[in-house]
Amino acid sequence: MRRAHRGGGAVAAAAVAALLLFGGCAGRSGSAGAAGGAGSAGGELPPPVREVLPNGLRLIVQEHRAADIVAVYLYVGVGVRYERPDQLGYSHFQEHMLFKGTDKWGPGYIDRTVEGVGGRTNATTSFDFTDFYIMAPTESLETAMQTLADMVFRSTFDPNEVAREREVIFEEANIETDNPKTAIVRQLYSMVFADNPYGYPVLGTRPTMSAATSAILKAYNKHYYTPENMVLVVAGPVDAKAVRAMVDRIWGVIPATGYKPVQAPVPHRQTGIARKSVERPEQQARLAMGWLGPPTNDFSGDAVDLLTTILAGAESSRLAIRLRDKERLVSSITMNYSAQMGGGIVSLRAELEAKDLARVEQIVLEEIARMQADGPTEEERQLAVIRAESQHAFDTETADGLANAYAIAETTWTLDAELGYVDRLGKITREQIRDAARRYLSLTNYARISFQPKP
Amino acid sequence: MSPRRVAASLLLLLVLAGALAPPRGAFAADEVVTRTKLANGMIVLVRENATAPIVAISLMVRMGTRWETRQNAGISNFLQLMVVRGTTSLDGTQIVSAADRMGGSIDAYADADYAEIPATALARFWGEMLDLVADVALHPSIPDDTARAVRDFLARQIRNRAEKPYDAAFDALMARTFGDNPYAWDPMGLKESLERVDRPALLAHYRRFYVPGAMVLAVSGKMKTAEVVARAERLFGALPAAPVPAPNATPPPAPATDRTALTVPGAQAQILMGGLAPSLTDPDLAAMKVVSAVLGGGLASRFFSELRDKQGLAYTTAARQPMRVATGYFLAMLGTAPANKEKAEAALSEQLERIQRQAVSDEELRVAKAYLLGSLAMDRRTNARQAWYMASLEVAGVGHEFLDRYVAQVKAVTKADVQRAAQRYLATVRTVIAEPAP
Repeated sequence: MRRAHRGGGAVAAAAVAALLLFGGCAGRSGSAGAAGGAGSAGGELPPPVREVLPNGLRLIVQEHRAADIVAVYLYVGVGVRYERPDQLGYSHFQEHMLFKGTDKWGPGYIDRTVEGVGGRTNATTSFDFTDFYIMAPTESLETAMQTLADMVFRSTFDPNEVAREREVIFEEANIETDNPKTAIVRQLYSMVFADNPYGYPVLGTRPTMSAATSAILKAYNKHYYTPENMVLVVAGPVDAKAVRAMVDRIWGVIPATGYKPVQAPVPHRQTGIARKSVERPEQQARLAMGWLGPPTNDFSGDAVDLLTTILAGAESSRLAIRLRDKERLVSSITMNYSAQMGGGIVSLRAELEAKDLARVEQIVLEEIARMQADGPTEEERQLAVIRAESQHAFDTETADGLANAYAIAETTWTLDAELGYVDRLGKITREQIRDAARRYLSLTNYARISFQPKP
Repeated sequence: MSPRRVAASLLLLLVLAGALAPPRGAFAADEVVTRTKLANGMIVLVRENATAPIVAISLMVRMGTRWETRQNAGISNFLQLMVVRGTTSLDGTQIVSAADRMGGSIDAYADADYAEIPATALARFWGEMLDLVADVALHPSIPDDTARAVRDFLARQIRNRAEKPYDAAFDALMARTFGDNPYAWDPMGLKESLERVDRPALLAHYRRFYVPGAMVLAVSGKMKTAEVVARAERLFGALPAAPVPAPNATPPPAPATDRTALTVPGAQAQILMGGLAPSLTDPDLAAMKVVSAVLGGGLASRFFSELRDKQGLAYTTAARQPMRVATGYFLAMLGTAPANKEKAEAALSEQLERIQRQAVSDEELRVAKAYLLGSLAMDRRTNARQAWYMASLEVAGVGHEFLDRYVAQVKAVTKADVQRAAQRYLATVRTVIAEPAP
């Protein structure tokens, strides 16, 4: 529900399987979740240090002494929305291949090296970016940085490994289809972003994936994985000067290529109500509704964050109380805004019984209409602000929470915008929240999909 | 908003899959834990951590599936869902609203070896949140109509669980492995037993288990120890001491080799193999944890590197061996396309045999130990996890210092220990295959 959860709803491809089956054990899992700045509210941490290397690489260092663990996050400005129709799935396929061996080391080396120092690594492909992280004991910082640099600049894309990994990704697609929670979000994206790259399938299609060769994926890597298209964040019990020296040595030597980013595609406006009903094997029915939201760099996203919290983004939100507690029509309901560079998405999801689908949709629209007419109460506004403050405070708890938040902000917007997030939210008025409901939550233009059991 | 947790979350299952690196300097994680026993027998554990302006609370009770029978399976988790849905002064909506106003959350669920009320808040609300946790724990109203609604909700959750391929296969494996032992069922319980649970049964269960000698309060975050202890004393000190119920000690059946096939919806086939494993206090625990880590711990494990990366037989594959107080279990799993299932089953089986036949390499041993200890360190980064560890280890009867001993034991494991543990626990395994209808 917070704008900094950018890409969270995008269900970064690899995250899906692992989150639902075995956590990080089983897949290249990652969550684009945590976010928030170390701005004013925590008050304990020194401010982050942001620098740009001569080759264009942006470096952010955050001193964070809660544990002897350092988090190294790399965000690359490439993702699904960069793909051409004949390249569907390549951002993600390419990401998988970076774990499969470099000109220095064979397959398996990265996992052995990182886990062998007690660390963790993973990667996630989203629409606006691809992210990689290594978390490790602080003494292994250099190993972590060198390993990450080797992965992104020196991977070999061995043809046998490409063929094997393709099968792994096809399995990943099976898992995603089997999982109704992720499947419904995917399909909602394809409806809200019809005919737009933000609606593309992260895992690609059978034809595009089958056409991907070692040479094609390597070229994709060479084009996008350049220092000027990267953000590196290091957070932990570290000194910014020492980190800069290490980064100069390992990352500073990579030449810039003159890469120029492309403009993010702006989604078409929604017209009318796009409806879809899907029959599924499960008995549990689900409803998802989606609206286009503001792009990342639009400050009206702040009001949308509060709006979604008040409507259905908190345990005591309007729709949770009415639909879950009072009328008992849903077993869960949630709403959030995912900012994206071209255009965001506001999505609502509920678990319910199939017979109640129409009634629940109607009540959602009623509550939106009420918000458009009267706005939130002062108590609701304050509660949503406290919730944002709290999420920020919990993000500052760990080095990786902060590192991830900074990297997303720097990649899709600006670090400063992130650092000022909580303070800005506190100044949003009830009228602004009401206006956001009028502007973004149309009662006549939205997408709606349901999963229900075969009769 | 996340749906209120129904039973043990995945995180909790993974939890004790890991363990912790020794601190090397002055970090918040080193800060001391203060343990206080109230006059009525309740234990209060506090850890001060000023990193972030937040607080995490875990109130645990010695109650859970381990104390259940097949007749009342799931009653502990059911009761937990009820305590956060109404007290004598607040209804369920008022409880969640109060938590939201504190920038936090409050929840409740039961697991195999404990029941927990976890709560978080912005640090400035720590006292108010502790009051709320106490209210929920000490004055639940358990209204009849809410009980009926929660029972319907649980019935749907049990139905949904049976439709999830991995969960269905896992439940079948646990049922075979543990027989009449209460670890045989998921904390959510069984359809038949839940139908019998009504308000009087919930109230009786509550009175029997919510006794101070069975309760542990753990608090971690930015607040003062003395203030927490004083407040806990005021909130919980008046609770009269009472006998602590004994667990259901029905032994699990002897290990055996068998095979169960299930039909489930979906596109993937799930293959699970497993059996009994060392308990939390068994001297074999550390060696068997290393066995699990070598086989299917992380991305460098044998399952991942050989079954997934080299043979392309799986997207998900892992081994796990969560810590259990009475009897542990080991589990190897693999999810694959139905066309691969024979090959995958044979390959998984071969992995379980090879580690008994051949000693692991020095490098594998080193990486597996680093993985185990690193996982624990990573898992202990947050106040919520710290509170969970403190409370659950106290409830288990081993004390929060247990992790230091465990770390030392893992470090001392030899190649011979690994092979011996593998031979002892992997020689006889049960198999469950869950696959889509053709």
